[in-house]
Amino acid sequence: MNYPIWSLPIIGGSWAVGLISIIHIFMSHFAVGGGIFFAVTEYLALKRINSSDSKLRRNAEMMYEYLKKHSKFFMMVTTVAGAVTGVAIWFTIALVSPDGTASLIQTYSLGWATEYLFFVAEIATVFVYFYTWDKISKEQHLALAKWYAFLSVMTLVIINGILSFMLTPAGWLKTSAWYEGFFNPTYWPSLLLRLLVMVAIAGMYALVTTARLDASESEEIADFRAYMLKYSSKWFIPVFFVGPLVGFWFFSQVPQVVMENIFTGIQSSGVGNFSILTRAIYLSLILSGTVLVFALVGPYLNPRGFSFASAIAFMVCGLAVTGMGEWSREMLRKPYVIYNYMYSNGLRKADIETINKEGFTAFSKWEDPENIGGSMFRQQCMICHTTDGYRSMKKLLGERDLEGIKSFLFMLRETDPEKNNYLNIMPPVAGTDEELNALAEYLYTLKPVASES
Amino acid sequence: MMTEISQSTFEWLDQRLGLSGLAEVAAKKKVPVHKQSFWYYMGGIAMLLLTVQFLTGILLMVYYVPELSSANSSVLFINSQIDFGWFVRSMHSWAANLLIFVLFAHMFSAYFMKAYRKPRELTWVSGLGLLVIGFGFGFTGYLLPWDEVAFFATKIGIDIAEQTPFAGEFLASLLKGGAEVGQGTLSRFFTIHVIVLPLALFALAGIHLLLVQLHGMSEPKSFQDKPADKKKYEMFFPDFLLKDLMIWLLAFNVLATIVILFPWGVGPEADPFAPAPAGIKPEWYFLGMFQFLKLLPAHVGFIEGEKFGLLVFALIGAVFAAAPFIDKGHNPKLSKFFDIYGFMVLIGLVVFTVWGYLA
Repeated sequence: MNYPIWSLPIIGGSWAVGLISIIHIFMSHFAVGGGIFFAVTEYLALKRINSSDSKLRRNAEMMYEYLKKHSKFFMMVTTVAGAVTGVAIWFTIALVSPDGTASLIQTYSLGWATEYLFFVAEIATVFVYFYTWDKISKEQHLALAKWYAFLSVMTLVIINGILSFMLTPAGWLKTSAWYEGFFNPTYWPSLLLRLLVMVAIAGMYALVTTARLDASESEEIADFRAYMLKYSSKWFIPVFFVGPLVGFWFFSQVPQVVMENIFTGIQSSGVGNFSILTRAIYLSLILSGTVLVFALVGPYLNPRGFSFASAIAFMVCGLAVTGMGEWSREMLRKPYVIYNYMYSNGLRKADIETINKEGFTAFSKWEDPENIGGSMFRQQCMICHTTDGYRSMKKLLGERDLEGIKSFLFMLRETDPEKNNYLNIMPPVAGTDEELNALAEYLYTLKPVASES
Repeated sequence: MMTEISQSTFEWLDQRLGLSGLAEVAAKKKVPVHKQSFWYYMGGIAMLLLTVQFLTGILLMVYYVPELSSANSSVLFINSQIDFGWFVRSMHSWAANLLIFVLFAHMFSAYFMKAYRKPRELTWVSGLGLLVIGFGFGFTGYLLPWDEVAFFATKIGIDIAEQTPFAGEFLASLLKGGAEVGQGTLSRFFTIHVIVLPLALFALAGIHLLLVQLHGMSEPKSFQDKPADKKKYEMFFPDFLLKDLMIWLLAFNVLATIVILFPWGVGPEADPFAPAPAGIKPEWYFLGMFQFLKLLPAHVGFIEGEKFGLLVFALIGAVFAAAPFIDKGHNPKLSKFFDIYGFMVLIGLVVFTVWGYLA
């Protein structure tokens, strides 16, 4: 608790980070998958241009021309929107979760620095790639595509270590050795899963730009459009066959408590926050399944009937499943920002006992002595809750009176899962009895009836 | 080797089921391609949602108990104890609402495209019948969880049905199965919901689909007027069917997203002796009619207000059903009249529903 708190009404801090991150992922996954797509497609186009089959040769020539246009779209999306949202994530997480961000920076200074280098090289390469079409030899241009693919994959190789570390820091918790946290149990399945998804996303964006071609212009264009749509849909094949296996591998590595959380949501009520993780996973699975069948019955089996509107609908589904997948992954970590080390509100697990004994006021540097309850709320609750909007406290407090709120808070302070069944989804409240009473009184004033009386 | 096996399997089945006949039909069936083609998918979406309703309905029936003291708790049990229970229940409730919405869209799109005209008069009438069956499913299914809101909304619904001229009292006693809404009502609603209506639906939907196959897709006038070489068609099999599948996937995704983000809860158990809570409203698809009835004075002329309202609804429905027999396409003025009439009904429905929601 070394930093002041950024109050975000209505949507709350977590959604501010979530929304920007999800938009960023739509771009960044395209940046990596697209790199592989350009390298492979340019290679194939060059190879097929020499084919003896005249139809294939014509399609390969048009494919080469198509790549030039598609690379402009790619460059604009990844360098402008991708880079802007990437920087925006840093600004938002630093404000919403300063302690968590500080931990990540301190643990992986070298990692972030390397990531930055690869990123700069990646951006420089994509510009060179776009502006050198027809200006250097075809072989040199293909080499650039391969170089770009390598650099973009390397950005994933690094950031994946830090992201998966947050869910399964494993050995790092004992040794604090960076490589133990980096090459953690979910590192490899995460890396593979992301690569598979990125490749599919590259296919998805190619479907959108290909579907824009006007088939009524000429039979050649109609023919190429169908050829390219079918080709792009094949980029879903790897995730279709390998994705489920890697998914199982990933889930076999997540902490047992997380798996129990998921099963609680299957067996118990679907209403409320206990099942939110399960619900997010259901939706990810359903949307992934339908996206794959969509790719099969749409662009693969019926490319000529696949309109631009269908491509947009397909993209919406594809982006929805990507977003849901990321949201699920974020929620797997609940209630931590770094699993078993730091809670989502920035409190370290190891400090909870001390805070409960010595008081949160003594521990935090940003207490308002005039309003201890309000300060507690801002620092411990507002990372996930708002007063009126998302996970509204007014709504969650419901009919409870002051005593009810107090006893609820004292239950939330328990660190024994037998006594506090919220422990898997919420950090425990930390503070002395007086501080909890102050928090309860503050919360009680949020209730409209209480404040009126 | 594989082709030989599949060839002989096909021949075996063909001799017994006449598959090549079906294949011939499929090879001939064409779908016109034009700007309004999108509306052709509504019937397919309705069929998908209906399938969801049958499957989830069967699963719910395994645990649901149609008995006064157990109905609400059995739904609560499904929602909170059974594996995937809340998911199946939420799916059933949301798909029901989406189905009614899609049926409205299907009906109004067919109406405005004049798809009811010769030779599709019976397709149109059977479609209207299916919409009424859909309402029946909604009305009877709503009561089954036996929660507070459902109980009082059903009571109001039956009171309104009682006002039906001539047959009102008979209809109300048939639905209630006793002096008050109670066990008799629940048993009857359950039987109607799981046996009577599904049988009626199977029969009527069978006829509806058969007629659709017999006459093919209707062509709007703007398409008919095109010169023959400008008319674009696509094959139903496999092109349109593949597109249909895509739309089904989209519809299913919409359903799954709503189901999961807004799971359907269970209200507190109904207490017939408690006073009705304030602001009881029926389901949204009855809300427009409900609001209209509420606004009527006690008496309109010499008729009771509610009776008058029901007569108005009957008249509106009758004009709809009669549309293909009057608007045959020979008289542009009549055609225009039915266009305006349809718009008025649609706007009235939307306005009264929103009004009812906000009231």
